[in-house]
Amino acid sequence: MRAFIDFKDNFGDRRNTKFRKFKLLACGIFFLFSFSSIGYRTVSLAGVNKSSSQNFSFKTENGGFYEPLSRGNIYDRNKELLATTIVTSSLNINPQEVLDKENTILKLSKLFPQLNQVTLTEKLNTDKKFVNLLREISPKEHVMLLNEGIEGLKIRTTNKRVYPNNNLAAHLLGSTDIDGIGIAGIEKSFNNQLKNGENITISIHSGIQHITEKILLEQINNFEAEGGAGIVMNSKTGEVYAMTSLPDYNVNNYNETSDEFLFNKATKGIYELGSTLKLLTAAIAFDSGLVKENEVFDVSRPLRVSSRTIRDFHPLNYSINIPEVIVHSSNIGSAKIAEKFGSSTQLKYLKSLGFMEKVNLEIPENGMPQVLMDRKLLTTMTISYGHGIAITPMHLASSTATIVNNGVKVNPTLLISEKKLNNRRVFSQNTSKKIKSIMRLVVKSEHGTAKKAEAKGYLVGGKTGTAEKLSKNGGYLKKQNIVALTAAFPMNDPHYVITVMIDNPKGQKFSYGYRTAGWVVAPVVKKLVTRIAPILGIKPQNEDALDFSEKLIQYEIRGKNKGENL
Amino acid sequence: MIKYPSFVIVFLIIIVGISLYQIKYFITKNEVILQSINTKISKTRSDLEILKAELSYLKRPDRIERIALNKLELREILPTDIWNLKDLLDATDSINQRQLK
Repeated sequence: MRAFIDFKDNFGDRRNTKFRKFKLLACGIFFLFSFSSIGYRTVSLAGVNKSSSQNFSFKTENGGFYEPLSRGNIYDRNKELLATTIVTSSLNINPQEVLDKENTILKLSKLFPQLNQVTLTEKLNTDKKFVNLLREISPKEHVMLLNEGIEGLKIRTTNKRVYPNNNLAAHLLGSTDIDGIGIAGIEKSFNNQLKNGENITISIHSGIQHITEKILLEQINNFEAEGGAGIVMNSKTGEVYAMTSLPDYNVNNYNETSDEFLFNKATKGIYELGSTLKLLTAAIAFDSGLVKENEVFDVSRPLRVSSRTIRDFHPLNYSINIPEVIVHSSNIGSAKIAEKFGSSTQLKYLKSLGFMEKVNLEIPENGMPQVLMDRKLLTTMTISYGHGIAITPMHLASSTATIVNNGVKVNPTLLISEKKLNNRRVFSQNTSKKIKSIMRLVVKSEHGTAKKAEAKGYLVGGKTGTAEKLSKNGGYLKKQNIVALTAAFPMNDPHYVITVMIDNPKGQKFSYGYRTAGWVVAPVVKKLVTRIAPILGIKPQNEDALDFSEKLIQYEIRGKNKGENL
Repeated sequence: MIKYPSFVIVFLIIIVGISLYQIKYFITKNEVILQSINTKISKTRSDLEILKAELSYLKRPDRIERIALNKLELREILPTDIWNLKDLLDATDSINQRQLK
């Protein structure tokens, strides 16, 4: 009996132990699962898993969860807003939801006089379920619509690109299409960054841009010209502070603007800029060493080459040196200098200056220069005074900057450059100093062609150019000119380059019928320098009190009948 | 002996379950508040963009120039208006010397 009881107990214990183990295991798994689920849910709700796409706070912290990513803004160098995107409301209607169409048309036409009743009747009597009535309504009009209680109306919010400064830097900013994609200017070039919400800061200075536009427009009106272009550029960094093309347009009305106004004369238009290119001729002559510095050229008689006769606008009856060729703007002298250094040297330098390619500016509207490359003597000669070579005003500004920047190449840019440039050298420092001295004399000398550009104290230097306009059918328009001036200041250490071009000015009574660059463009540069120099922190200087190292070379420039001794 | 820990564990599960429900309720409620705050932020941002655009419109260089000329009677700075301190001291000295003479 005892043995039976012991067996039963042992057997029962073993069975109980097994059952208990099973129970414990099941409970353990159940609790583990429960606590794991609870733990996971608690942790996930607490927002530890921030990278989850379901997580609400993650999305808001990283911006733009509740609103679609809006296009980035464009700012000028002083963080002044040039372009932004705002939310506007558009007026739409579902014609199928309109019960009393006549009454609705009446109410709508009363609220919005621009919507005529005929159009509204057409739009409301369609099978469509969504018809746009107005692209944009003001908040006030929105409230008025709500008060009227018109059925079927659908107000939708849309993004709208706005340019608060209207016409300012119109050609630079460009525009966007209806879908918000950049179609011109900065808007197009930086479309990828802007559409991803990135802001762009450009090198333009709004104040200087406005002054440039205003002064240029005044002169265009004074001389009844067709248009013009103006560029203000830092001659050390290539940063463009102002760039205008006139006539311009209100950027907010881009789509309603004709192509004539949209055309960018400063970077896209190519022109024969005449004698302004004589600066390059002199620079090539000095730099190549193929012309002696004190060599003189007889300009007393017109120069006949092939079928063409080269004449001077201000003829001189004696032989003149290179500085005098530039100051008097002698075509004959320039042609003779070019004959000395030849076509190969000329083309080599033009290529180094970037005259064979588009300017690498950060907008799509860049014009390709046209240079006659037949290497004939006549072509070499005419190119030397700016004929047979058509470039954009931006090319001219860039080459002027290169000359005055101690001969080191300057590439124009619309971005603020923070790093020091290590560009290649085109001209020697010595050549640069000689040309800077000559440029100063063109403005300072009583015989200079740009006397009217002299802004007291700011040591302006430059070179004028007057050229007959190219006809669309080939050849030249004898009575239509392109006048230009490329200048820099202060010439002892040039910081800024100004290039101005005016298209087809007419002779005026106050200009005694003249429509040359000296009369038309030089005063623009004077006004511009006087206005912008204080903004740019350039102080007026006493030229006679300059340090020796900053002094320019004082070439002697003789007048009309002073060549007897040569 | 066995029943006591089981009771504690069941009790804990109930407590944790209730807490979880409370947390979920609390978070859902806060999510709604957060959504409304974010909507307000979004609206305020949009309003700010409009205000910035309006400010920029009012600060247009042509408008500022017009105000400066017409209302404040300011004119452009001429080179003769700009003096450095040394020139000013020299000029003062020469005036003083003239007065002494």
